[in-house]
Amino acid sequence: MNRALRRISVAVLVMFVLLLVNINYLQGFEPASLATKPGNSRAFYASQNEYERGSIMTSDGVTIAASRPSSNANDSIKYQRYYPLGEEYAPVTGYDTLYSQTGIEYYENSVLNGSDASLSVRNFIDLLTGKPRKGASVTVTINSKAQDAAWDALQNDTGGKPGAVVALDPQTGAILATASYPSYDPNLLATHSGTQLNANDHTLLTAPGNPLLNRAIDFTWPPGSTFKIVTSSAYLTKNPGSNTQTSVYSPTQLTLPQTTHILTNNDGEVCGSGSGQAPLIDAFAQSCDTTFASLGEKLGSSTLNDFAGLFGMNSKNLTIPMPVTQSNYVIPASQALTAFSAIGQYDDTVTPLQEAMFAAAIANGGRLMTPYLVQQVTASDLSTVEKTTPTQLSQAVSPAVASEIGQMMLAVVQQPDGTANAFNTSVVGFTMAGKTGTAQNGANNTGLDDAVFTCFAPYDNPQIAVGVIIQGGGYGATAAAPIAVQVIKAYLASLGK
Amino acid sequence: MSSITAPSPAIDPDSPLIPVARGRRRTELVMLIFAFALVAFAFANVGYSLKGRLPSSMAEYLAAFVVITVIGHLAVRRLAPWADPLLLPLAAMLNGLGIVMTYRLAQQGNLLSAPLSPSATGIQILYTAIGVACFIAVLALVREPRVLQRYTYTLGVIGLALLALPALLPSSISEVYGAKIQIRLGTFTIQPEEFAKLALAVSFAGYLVVKRDVLALAGRRVLGIDLPRARDLGPIVVVWAASLLLLVFESDIGTSAVFMGLFVAMLYIATSRTSWLLLGFVMFVAGAFAASRLFGHVGERFDIWLHPFTGSNPEGNAYQLVQGLYGMASGGLLGKGLGGGQPYITPLVQSDLVFTAFGEELGLAGLMAILLIYGLIVQRGLRTAMSVKDPFSKLLAGGLSFMLALQVFVIVGGVTRLIPLTGITTPFLSQGGSSLVASWILIGLLARISDSARRPPPRPIQEEGLTQVVTLK
Repeated sequence: MNRALRRISVAVLVMFVLLLVNINYLQGFEPASLATKPGNSRAFYASQNEYERGSIMTSDGVTIAASRPSSNANDSIKYQRYYPLGEEYAPVTGYDTLYSQTGIEYYENSVLNGSDASLSVRNFIDLLTGKPRKGASVTVTINSKAQDAAWDALQNDTGGKPGAVVALDPQTGAILATASYPSYDPNLLATHSGTQLNANDHTLLTAPGNPLLNRAIDFTWPPGSTFKIVTSSAYLTKNPGSNTQTSVYSPTQLTLPQTTHILTNNDGEVCGSGSGQAPLIDAFAQSCDTTFASLGEKLGSSTLNDFAGLFGMNSKNLTIPMPVTQSNYVIPASQALTAFSAIGQYDDTVTPLQEAMFAAAIANGGRLMTPYLVQQVTASDLSTVEKTTPTQLSQAVSPAVASEIGQMMLAVVQQPDGTANAFNTSVVGFTMAGKTGTAQNGANNTGLDDAVFTCFAPYDNPQIAVGVIIQGGGYGATAAAPIAVQVIKAYLASLGK
Repeated sequence: MSSITAPSPAIDPDSPLIPVARGRRRTELVMLIFAFALVAFAFANVGYSLKGRLPSSMAEYLAAFVVITVIGHLAVRRLAPWADPLLLPLAAMLNGLGIVMTYRLAQQGNLLSAPLSPSATGIQILYTAIGVACFIAVLALVREPRVLQRYTYTLGVIGLALLALPALLPSSISEVYGAKIQIRLGTFTIQPEEFAKLALAVSFAGYLVVKRDVLALAGRRVLGIDLPRARDLGPIVVVWAASLLLLVFESDIGTSAVFMGLFVAMLYIATSRTSWLLLGFVMFVAGAFAASRLFGHVGERFDIWLHPFTGSNPEGNAYQLVQGLYGMASGGLLGKGLGGGQPYITPLVQSDLVFTAFGEELGLAGLMAILLIYGLIVQRGLRTAMSVKDPFSKLLAGGLSFMLALQVFVIVGGVTRLIPLTGITTPFLSQGGSSLVASWILIGLLARISDSARRPPPRPIQEEGLTQVVTLK
């Protein structure tokens, strides 16, 4: 029987060799291809777990997202993400769930979780020196005072109407504030319980007012009269020799070309002296629709389209690093609709960020800077990994034209008949230039008007440009402008001005 | 110093002529201590990895494990002093690693389902105690392996009854994840097949040792192979039919393969006829193939094996298999370290797929070590089979060793996609009592046979030069 036993031993040896060869193949050669196979979540969980996730903070040092050791001892995830100022900063931070991220949490994920290639040398040194593994932290451009003002105003001053505020540094494009209302608490989605997460996610998705929507960059409204900045830019650029005092056709009633439709100003108001002609600056300050509809009709839709593009509209690829929903100027099919499009109606739609960009371009001598949210990435050893250098997006208008539009925007606020005269220097304490918008919407314009406001301040040395849209807020000057004033006031105070 | 004073070797009273056979119990103890150290290190590793400190209950768990296995060692010293010194330490090491993995999986759960119950580690240690108690009982009750031969038919009937029992019971008592393989009594479950395999191994050995001469007779010669005579086909057909019934009625392909493989291997050891081997293999493959065509659940296993990543398989039927593979892949060469991986993602990782959990956390290096431990146990068993004189013991030791090897091959080959995955337990490593206790009984039987194999012949009473004087009393 021993001969048979010896053969059985050989068979057993073959079985074990097969097993050994197979696991060698599986663990020695296959890991790379298995890592990308469907349903392999191990790499994802590991990347979220290997390092303590870096924090996110504002430019003035307020922590808005951080990780701390999980309080649940049996938790398979070591660190719990938390958001000290959840709702206020949700449009900035986004959220970090078990399965996915949004906002800065998503777009800076690789540096936050420490897996980014730019951190590999530092990680290796940390491994050798036995330092705890921690991802890099991200400093955003937000100024906490401006953000607080924006969030407080949205929450308390609009009667619960949805809306958003974006503030930019016109000289760099840095986003100083970005708030959206209603908002959500990202802490609800940071839970490590899968069932809790699904329940909270469902609640937020079905909540009234869609709190998960970041209205600052992901939703568009008609710009209304704020679009007259674009129309004026086109007019002043295309008509050399014209200036703010140039007399333009400003009837009380304008019959739109090829139609019998008669356009009137708000409440049928008379523009200027009622003579049918008015200086451009007065028409702008009073926001005469007839004037700018007529100007737009003469300029033509393709010119308006060009200038809208120079101000950043129709851009598919704008990222801050979150992708920004495109603000649209749609070329109208007829001259009558072109007239409408010139006053920010028809199919014109903009994000609150785009509103801020209108004012920022004018404030910066026509030079529109690319908006950005990430100021700096700092490794756990406090060395700088990357720092954003401001870049120019476009030269929207020449410095001369920018200066003329700036004067007209100043008139809107400072001239007694300007639409935003309630916020003149003697009232608010600083010199602001702006443009109001009251955008009609809904079928046959039956919806509540959206309040729009774009502005910059201080006029002689612009530090901040703000765009505000309050859905259904009514007049831009009543619902949107006060919010911009509070943001500017808070920001200028933080600068010591 | 002159040569005259040097005593002649022939009359040196201190150097016996016959070399002293050694029981090597001290070797066993040293190896056991090595196993304890390894298990203690693994425990500490889990604690530091998950909590940054030693596990709070590590001392109790470790003390219980050490006491249980040392009692086993003392029993071997007393009951089987000549037993192979590696069997107990190797089994103890695997058992200890299994306890550590149970502890590790009880500490950290899946995101979507809870970790193992906190009492799982304690229960696994309790099963270890029962297993070692059964190991001692085998040594105490079976003083000579040959006595088991008397129970050839009794054990055969018991084995078949145990195998058939779950199929006959209602599904509510016997079904677990689609296979009817257990008996549930309240919260307590037994998998009778684990014990049936042992009873049948003994029964086969007893039967074959008697019939081997007849079964070895050659029938017709076809293609250079001597076929057995048709009238001798009875036993193999009976076992084949039983294994297919197991396959069909209990959906238990793994056990069915182990069962058939055990019988065929023992038949071959008994008769040295290659034809039995071929015949058994062909019969099983043909039967399994037919079953895979006729019964959906068998065919599904093949589909999962061949196309785990296609269509809905990775999220559906093949989910468990592919998650196990992903775990092993994420472990790579050196593993994530105990407590560092995510084995809890794989469903039921503590039982059938425990090998992948070790692969994820100990890596290729750890898995090769574990396979070598299994290989060593099998090798010690086969070595015992070769050296033992008594044919029954020889057959039993060979059969049990091969069965262990086959069981490791079926489950490890299954989870690593070498062969279709079939749910059987990984000896000593899987969480659960029946498999652990049965594995310890198997080690007890091998230890008993090795004791009789290595026991030296009775020593001469008187030594005087080369002449043996027999004293008659």
